[in-house]
Amino acid sequence: MQLLNKETEIQQARLADYCRTGIEPDLIDINKDNLYQYRRLVFNIASDTLETAYPITYSFLPSEIWQKLVHDYFAEHKCQTTQVWRMPLEFYNYCKEKDIQEELKIPFLNDLLYFEWLELDVHTMEDVTYPKTKEIGSWLNDVIALNPEHKLIQLSYPVHTTAPTEQLEEKQGNYFLLIYREKETANVQFIDLSMLYVFIIENITNGLKLSTILEEANTLLQINDIDLLTQHVLTFLEDLKQREFVLGFLA
Amino acid sequence: MLNHHIGIGFRKDFAEEFLTTNDLQPAFIELAPENWIGMGGYWKKQLDKAAEKYPITCHGLSLSIGSPDELDVDFVKQVKQFLKQYNVKVYSEHLSYSKCDNAHLYDLLPIPFREDAVKHIVQRIKQVQDILEMPLVLENVSYYTPVAAQMKEEDFITAIVNESSCNMLLDVNNVYVNAFNHNYNAKEFIKKLPLNKVAYIHMAGHEKVSDTLIIDTHGQAVIDPVFELFDFAADLINPVPVLLERDFNIPELTELQLEINRLDAIVSKKWQSNYAIA
Repeated sequence: MQLLNKETEIQQARLADYCRTGIEPDLIDINKDNLYQYRRLVFNIASDTLETAYPITYSFLPSEIWQKLVHDYFAEHKCQTTQVWRMPLEFYNYCKEKDIQEELKIPFLNDLLYFEWLELDVHTMEDVTYPKTKEIGSWLNDVIALNPEHKLIQLSYPVHTTAPTEQLEEKQGNYFLLIYREKETANVQFIDLSMLYVFIIENITNGLKLSTILEEANTLLQINDIDLLTQHVLTFLEDLKQREFVLGFLA
Repeated sequence: MLNHHIGIGFRKDFAEEFLTTNDLQPAFIELAPENWIGMGGYWKKQLDKAAEKYPITCHGLSLSIGSPDELDVDFVKQVKQFLKQYNVKVYSEHLSYSKCDNAHLYDLLPIPFREDAVKHIVQRIKQVQDILEMPLVLENVSYYTPVAAQMKEEDFITAIVNESSCNMLLDVNNVYVNAFNHNYNAKEFIKKLPLNKVAYIHMAGHEKVSDTLIIDTHGQAVIDPVFELFDFAADLINPVPVLLERDFNIPELTELQLEINRLDAIVSKKWQSNYAIA
């Protein structure tokens, strides 16, 4: 049952719209001198939240461009999350959908925003139950246990290693990145990967034994030297164990 | 002397120091569920440590009880789950709106003081209370301009509290700020509120930005006139938990403890009995 009068609803909507757009509203019986405080306070929360989530992008973009981008986003996009710390994901999606990187002629902008968001996302993502593991096992014939709090991503620019400059624009390619959260410290770590190692980690995550994965990789990637491949992959996995991404073997 | 009444807003800015020293000893901590629901990793560990040491009250930001939009039932259910997980007995929110036309604004906008808004909000409070299976505690908010008001602020608040059977969070600093900004008598205003329904009190600092405007910042120490107003209100209210809010410009924790001590000294003289947070 609609209990709110249309006029009350319109007044509320106009104030909210003003806070999002800054366009002066037609409101009844207000203190005009103080109305601006609402636009200022609301916009500052949005702006501060995005600056905190995207510190590299914020520093890189000229101030007036950043301000306009945040203004346009908040005015045009209706934020859906109830949790303000998740709102920067909507900003990233907005920039992607609007193709802001094309508009600003910054081809790595989407990658930069995605990378910055993922650092925050992996740091704060819900805890995932760790598998039961055993320390001793066979690399080839047991299922290797991985830190479940991780993401594998692909980037077109190495925004994780190179500062946002013209040099970065010249480095377009395929970059694969493992992002994971350390169990004890909860720190977020990044590791550059080749496509082969992405293939290995994805298949370990899917529960396959390494011997099976290696055979498939040997054929698929036409390596034709299973012993050499095994040696390389084992060295890689030992390194990941040192970095506490490989936990051991599933018990 | 053990502090029985006064809690502190649990902020990430000082969480680590708070949990590893004894500089700040509140009776309980308060947090916004929206800032913690679904969060894992480092902050989840900190929250769990805090929950082991202190009872928790929750003070929400995104319920938007005064919104013209539909109530976000899924969100209320998420909050309910969180309250259960951390054994939270007090869930308070703001008598304002923060979402409109399907867009969240993440700040508190003033609701028109109108009869139709009262009816609309009362219906929503009942809906929330039915889902939560506990009373909602609603705070009188600070505001910098009324919008399309047709009734007095105190009548608006009283009607909502009485008709909905919710409880009230008396934010003493907000009364002070509003009395200054809208030129009314703070004590007279407090006396007109449904004081028998006050279940929680907030105290905070503010910033006077001009001769005619105070902004409710939670970024400064509580000033003497607000302590005096609290002293006045405490005479009229049954013992309830009192929360010191400090969200910005966080000082040394020992300074916050001095504010807690001052609040505790006021209520210890007036309130002989305690209450149960958890």
